[in-house]
Amino acid sequence: MKITVDEVKCQSHGLCAISAPDHFELDADGKLAYQETFDEEHLDAIEDAIDSCPLQAIIMDRDAP
Amino acid sequence: MATQPTTLHLDISNAYFRMDSEEVRKTRDAHWYARTNWGIAVLRYEDSSALLKSPLLTQGSAKWPAQHGVVEGHFDEWWQKTLLVLEGGEHNRIRRLVNPAFSPRRIAPLHAKFQDLADGLVDEWIEDGRTEFASRFAAPYATRILCVLLGIDENDWKKIHELASTIGLGLGITIQENIARIDQAIVELTAYAESLVRSRRESPKGDILSTLVDARDEDAGKLSDKELINLIILLIFAGIDTTRNQLALSVEAFSKQPDQWEKLASDPERYSAAAVEEALRVNPIGRWISREAAETFQYKERTIEKGTTLHLFTMTSATDPAAFDDPDRIDLDAERSPHFAFGGGLHHCLGHFVARADIGVALSTLATRLTDLRVGEDAEWLPDSGNTGAVVLPITFTSRS
Ligand code: SF4
Repeated sequence: MKITVDEVKCQSHGLCAISAPDHFELDADGKLAYQETFDEEHLDAIEDAIDSCPLQAIIMDRDAP
Repeated sequence: MATQPTTLHLDISNAYFRMDSEEVRKTRDAHWYARTNWGIAVLRYEDSSALLKSPLLTQGSAKWPAQHGVVEGHFDEWWQKTLLVLEGGEHNRIRRLVNPAFSPRRIAPLHAKFQDLADGLVDEWIEDGRTEFASRFAAPYATRILCVLLGIDENDWKKIHELASTIGLGLGITIQENIARIDQAIVELTAYAESLVRSRRESPKGDILSTLVDARDEDAGKLSDKELINLIILLIFAGIDTTRNQLALSVEAFSKQPDQWEKLASDPERYSAAAVEEALRVNPIGRWISREAAETFQYKERTIEKGTTLHLFTMTSATDPAAFDDPDRIDLDAERSPHFAFGGGLHHCLGHFVARADIGVALSTLATRLTDLRVGEDAEWLPDSGNTGAVVLPITFTSRS
């Protein structure tokens, strides 16, 4: 499983970082930095981040290695 | 310290002050910000976008009651703990628990209900060729949707609407003279919210309220009972007035652009989302979003002192010609940059997906059923402020039949 953020859509609101702080973070310039891969145990947090994004900019690929 | 740049002054406390005035346009052309009675007004799109999400600014509304002489009581206690004013860890913990309950996934199943409500209300007056939109559509629609969301008996809508409006007085400049009533409304709504939580605990219903009760009970200690009740009051209060007023503002905006109303009517499926965004962009209920500098910092050529209030002018930034072509016109086919009608950053509006969905259903229903839409000369509007809207909105139309 893997996530990608559509960088054109993303407006750097940072709500994903509230849901899944281990995987999403706003850098010092307020731009989003994130990790594409995650462990199964973080799936709930990642799904909450996807649900919470006001731009629905986070896409999960369940089949990715 | 370097001298601050000289900029124009806008008298935003004047009841005749209008965001869509020539004065504001000229001020926006002249500089990215203006001085106001309280702090500075940020006028341009680029700067609003940057400052709205800046971690150096806090939401800054905690002081509101105290600024008007209210330093204790039920309203103040409630307000100091609402998500709207919380910051940092406490804010993030509660947002993390409630955000997913308001996701598109959770709201999609409610569309059919929104549709029934909209059609039912239009049926009540469509034969007449005229109606008073604020009380005959906007208020019942917004309030009854909130009842559906929280699983409140829809027959209670008038009472809920009244309590929400009374609490709304707490955000007006007359807060002090109304505080006894406002405190009483908080007491009543607290009792109501407690009974809702009790009933969901006994028999969960799969609605948003049940999800929130779950969030509380599964994660014991993460969302306390007190926080849950505080949140329910906030949802009732914030969910009704905003949608109600935004509906009236959207109808007014479209009444000035009949070609776009016809376009929406011709293909609501395709255009309803764009119709909502364009209405929010050119005629938002929140004319500004307030922030406060948490520390002193430099932004462009301006030193912003700690404690400075910044008003980010939403309508002004969303009609900035530097960011939008033909900015004052609704254009359902245009690709537009995002507006900030729902605020932004960590305080981005929690209920925006609900609002987008229900306003979208309302506008496409109205467009497909009514044409020749006109707003009466006797419409009454609240002054431009953090929250504006229609007091009375008489409309005339022809039924498409
Ligand atoms: S919540 Fe969405 S818009 Fe905001 S930073 Fe995360 S991905 Fe970007």
